[in-house]
Amino acid sequence: MIIPIRCFSCGKPIAHLWESYVERVNKGEDRKKVMDELGLQRYCCRSVFLGHVDLIDTAAQFKKF
Amino acid sequence: MEIRVLDNNKEQGKLSFILKDSNPIFANTLRRLMIDEVPTMAIDEVEFSKNNSILYDEMIAHRLGLIPLKTDLKSYNLPEKCKCEGKGCNRCQLKLVLRATKGSGVVYASELKSKDPAVKPVFAEMPIVKLLKGQTLELEATAVLGKGKQHMKWSPCHAYYKYRPIIEITGDVKNPEAIIEVDHNNIFEIKDRKLVVNKDRVLECDLSLDYSQIDKNVKVTASDTDFVFYIESFGQLSGKEIINKAMDIFDEQLDELAEELKKAK
Ligand SMILES: [Zn+2]
Ligand SMILES: [Zn+2]
Repeated sequence: MIIPIRCFSCGKPIAHLWESYVERVNKGEDRKKVMDELGLQRYCCRSVFLGHVDLIDTAAQFKKF
Repeated sequence: MEIRVLDNNKEQGKLSFILKDSNPIFANTLRRLMIDEVPTMAIDEVEFSKNNSILYDEMIAHRLGLIPLKTDLKSYNLPEKCKCEGKGCNRCQLKLVLRATKGSGVVYASELKSKDPAVKPVFAEMPIVKLLKGQTLELEATAVLGKGKQHMKWSPCHAYYKYRPIIEITGDVKNPEAIIEVDHNNIFEIKDRKLVVNKDRVLECDLSLDYSQIDKNVKVTASDTDFVFYIESFGQLSGKEIINKAMDIFDEQLDELAEELKKAK
């Protein structure tokens, strides 16, 4: 849906890193390199970034009940 | 007891140090005090006046709660210890207002307007929600001081430690390459065909391998009295503030224990 504010497992705040991550990955940079440089050291935080799909644009077009 | 700072990266909020001549009981007490007892500010209640975004009120409230707020421990009290007796006053709570009526786009944490300039979101560019055209979000949030033992959003840091590694080479190592091959922490080197310890990397050893099974002369043991401590601040407080506050709380708790023991007789 939307990037979680913190890592589920360790609690590190990560949401503010998402947009620069997406921008750099879309430019063709290696995901490993980008995550290393953003300071995502543990595999828990990395998995949040690797597994996340931003669905909010699609979901927002539907009505909420 | 002695403390030697290894690294203090203020930008990333990382602090590491060696705790010398101590014991596991004290090291774990310190760790738990930092995680559970050092208070920070976090949003605890949210009143929505308008929200027709795709996220439900409770989801946005939950996201707001997790946003780290820069904390000024001197000007706020814990609600239960405040003079107002938990009713709520400007010494124990803070209002933050968010009004995103511009129509479309991502709403960032920086748009949370705080009544106190010292307490504001640490990371300005955290997305709270994304609005489409015609969607609006208006709310008033209340931030209070709290402790990590109640909810992790009030915890100031991620703190962990390990026993200090002791690495010894007691004699001739017949096959140094075999050691180098399994050494994923890069603590060993080969110099003049002899195995030597890279002194700068000793603390990087994660104590996960038993090298004596490969060669009896390579001994990796853990110190019982020295600890390598790592603190990763979430941003609300600096590493130094966290340790100082944790020690103050430890003092208070010991005083409290002494008082209670006196009463017991
Ligand atoms: Zn994590
Ligand atoms: Zn009060």
